[in-house]
Amino acid sequence: MNINLKIWRQKSNTNEGKLHDYRLENVDPNISFLEMLDILNNKLIKEQQDPVAFDHDCREGICGSCGFMINGRPHGPQKATTVCQLHMRSFNDEDDILLEPFRAKSFGVIKDLSVDRQSFDRIISSAGFVSVDTGEASEANKISIDKNNADEAFLSAACIGCGACVAACKNSSAMLFTSAKVSHLALLPQGQKEKTERVNKMVATMDAEGFGACTNTGACSAECPKEIGQTNIARLNREFVKAQVSNLFEKK
Amino acid sequence: MSIFQILTSSIGRKILMAITGLLLSFFMAFHLFGNLFLFVGEAAFNGYVQKLHKLGFLIRIAEFFLLTFVLSHAYSGILLWWKNRKAKKNVDSYSKENTSSAARYAAFTGSFIFIFLVTHWATFWYKFNFDMQQGITYYDVVLGSEVGFANPFFSVFYIVAIALLGYHLKHGFSSAGQTLGIVGTEYEKLYNNLSIIFWFWIPLGFISIPVWFGFLVRII
Repeated sequence: MNINLKIWRQKSNTNEGKLHDYRLENVDPNISFLEMLDILNNKLIKEQQDPVAFDHDCREGICGSCGFMINGRPHGPQKATTVCQLHMRSFNDEDDILLEPFRAKSFGVIKDLSVDRQSFDRIISSAGFVSVDTGEASEANKISIDKNNADEAFLSAACIGCGACVAACKNSSAMLFTSAKVSHLALLPQGQKEKTERVNKMVATMDAEGFGACTNTGACSAECPKEIGQTNIARLNREFVKAQVSNLFEKK
Repeated sequence: MSIFQILTSSIGRKILMAITGLLLSFFMAFHLFGNLFLFVGEAAFNGYVQKLHKLGFLIRIAEFFLLTFVLSHAYSGILLWWKNRKAKKNVDSYSKENTSSAARYAAFTGSFIFIFLVTHWATFWYKFNFDMQQGITYYDVVLGSEVGFANPFFSVFYIVAIALLGYHLKHGFSSAGQTLGIVGTEYEKLYNNLSIIFWFWIPLGFISIPVWFGFLVRII
């Protein structure tokens, strides 16, 4: 198959970027999207041109490194799939494919399609630690966890922090990401001790990083490669209110 | 976190919007209850308005609270809208097919509703309270040609504004359900069913009045 690519080229966050046209011919429909970009980059290097920068690591859909906008959708047209797991057979011969970086004020462009998502790391690290008993390893099943909560926590923990939710959102809000991280620990007994502090700090960092507020459109969940649900956001809101109420009654 | 910090956080602002929005919706239901007396008859409607007038300062207190709700809802909405605009590098870059139009136009419909509210106060509210001429009843004002539904421009404006209000509430109720943490609990279904009353049936009730008294009554 032949494809026409329009790729956002930008040297750095301070430079202006613009779209460039590239044409690739005889692309095997069974290669992955990133392999197609590898082929393009090989071609560009041979022609002594600057290759297209894009993030990737595991290429198995579990690390959260990859991700950019394909035809206006984070991670492309296939539901619940990261870019690395997307294949060229999802497109047609002679398709025009538009590639842009995830656009948000809190995600600066490093180069081309590669964006700086350290703001996510700062939200995570502001949450602090979880208290656990050290010393001898204890019996694995010592702490009993309700099956429903364990499943829910697992679904929340599936978030790979790729940033698609922020890119999908009309407000560049990081509520889905933050809510998945808050939910995951709020549902488990290990996360109870620091529950109040965690939600307060994560929400404060999220706001300070300049992410927008949630308008509850649900676009984030619809585009999330790990299908993190909207119930996480409702849970984050509940946890936030509970934290304020418990702060009122608990004097330190 | 202090109360001030809670209210100025993005979630705090949204909670304030959700609560004031719900309270205003309850008022809207009560308001419709009064309006429907128009269908009962002239005497019933005038009697109902006079009864409210007899409550005197209680009504003023209620009005003060309602105005506070409207202004704090609008104020938080504007601040959030501004924060969201600032967070976006390119305002057109988001997943449009997965963002409902009711959500996309919530700020626009909200602004339109505010303009409608101001005209509503300047016409019906002002006349009812301060400008009732001798021999003219409340019923005459509502259905009259000056600011009432006998004026087709006024009726159309009213119908459009209420329709947009319903559209605003369609997103408002689903959003408040998320913000107040109702989604994902056992109350979600009940809440969603009740919200249809507020964003569909109550606006339809309001619209039925200009449609009937402004247009249909003349044709039939």
